[in-house]
Amino acid sequence: MNGTPCRAPLEERALVEYWLGELGEADEARLDEHLLGCAHCSARLGELVALAGGIRDAFRQGALQVFVSDAFVKRLAAQGVRLREYRVPRNGSVNCTVTPEDELLVSRLEAPLADVSRVDIVVHPPGLPAEVRQDVPFDPARGEVLFTPNLAQLRAMPSHRLRLELIAVDDAGERLIGEYTFNHTA
Amino acid sequence: MCNETPRRYTSPSNAAECYLLRVENPPVEQFEDDAALAQRIAQAGPGRARKAEAELCRRLAPRVRLYGLKHLRDAHAAADLMQQVLLMTIEKLRAGELRDTARVASFVFGICRMTVLELRRGGFRREQLLERYAEDLAPAAAAPEPTVDLDRVAGCLEKLPQRERSVLLMTFYEDRPADEVGALLGLSAGNVRVIRHRGLARLRECVGQGESGT
Repeated sequence: MNGTPCRAPLEERALVEYWLGELGEADEARLDEHLLGCAHCSARLGELVALAGGIRDAFRQGALQVFVSDAFVKRLAAQGVRLREYRVPRNGSVNCTVTPEDELLVSRLEAPLADVSRVDIVVHPPGLPAEVRQDVPFDPARGEVLFTPNLAQLRAMPSHRLRLELIAVDDAGERLIGEYTFNHTA
Repeated sequence: MCNETPRRYTSPSNAAECYLLRVENPPVEQFEDDAALAQRIAQAGPGRARKAEAELCRRLAPRVRLYGLKHLRDAHAAADLMQQVLLMTIEKLRAGELRDTARVASFVFGICRMTVLELRRGGFRREQLLERYAEDLAPAAAAPEPTVDLDRVAGCLEKLPQRERSVLLMTFYEDRPADEVGALLGLSAGNVRVIRHRGLARLRECVGQGESGT
């Protein structure tokens, strides 16, 4: 209601759960009705939806480096996303590239991860100091770490060699799981 | 001089007619709530409160569109729903079908639910309604939707911890609930909700800083 402040603003958490269909039928109907009558909460939901769309579009444009799962990648492939995949064995290397037709690049790092509770990745970009990606998602059952590099950045780079180290982290400290080398041709 | 002139009175010829128009079709105040607008439409009679109708449509349009996106998960279907619901709301208000105008949100909710069912069944009388009320929908159709700076969102996502970034992407890429995302990442639904909440707060703050120019 224009100019009328909301007397019972919905919590951010409730808006997110509503949008994602996590509420029961009665709660969802209650929020449906509140949102249809409340400009304030409805505008906040609109902002959330716009932000969610921004996340989706940024990924579709290849503007994100992000760790994902095998099931997620398979879903994208089923939707017709043009994927290029590289699988790198433990302590191995791969010759790789990216073409204008590729919509997404997926790198699969193979590693024994069954007893691992946390994985960090040390990235050695050419000519730059090493960077650490802490606590990355991984799949212990499949023995894989999957990530999609930032395509926009990769397309702008010349041919180069990129080295990664997978590190297992637990109470006892850190141990190297494996090394992976990408020989990228521009 | 009359400020608001319905089409059928294109040139009021005397003061009495002007007075009548003002009474029947008074200016819409921005601070009027939805219920007051609904009451004005219901009391004025068919087509006599066009500004109130246009203002109510302008307010309801983004809310109904969101309802459509939520329940139909398709932007075109949501736009269709929005049009249909606004047309039916105006039609029913004009016909005096809403007795208690304080319950306008509940009234619109009922129309939304019914229209979603009709849309799913594939049959509604959209063309007929559009022909009669298209003019009232013009301001609603022009209502701006919130937008985000895509480069800013991408830059802010890249600053998030890896796990938050993964959870946000796998949640919002297809609007998946926590249990499904948890199954993809080997996390509990509760854990996904915690990471999601933290990640969204950080993302929002970062994007907001960009918008405020800091």
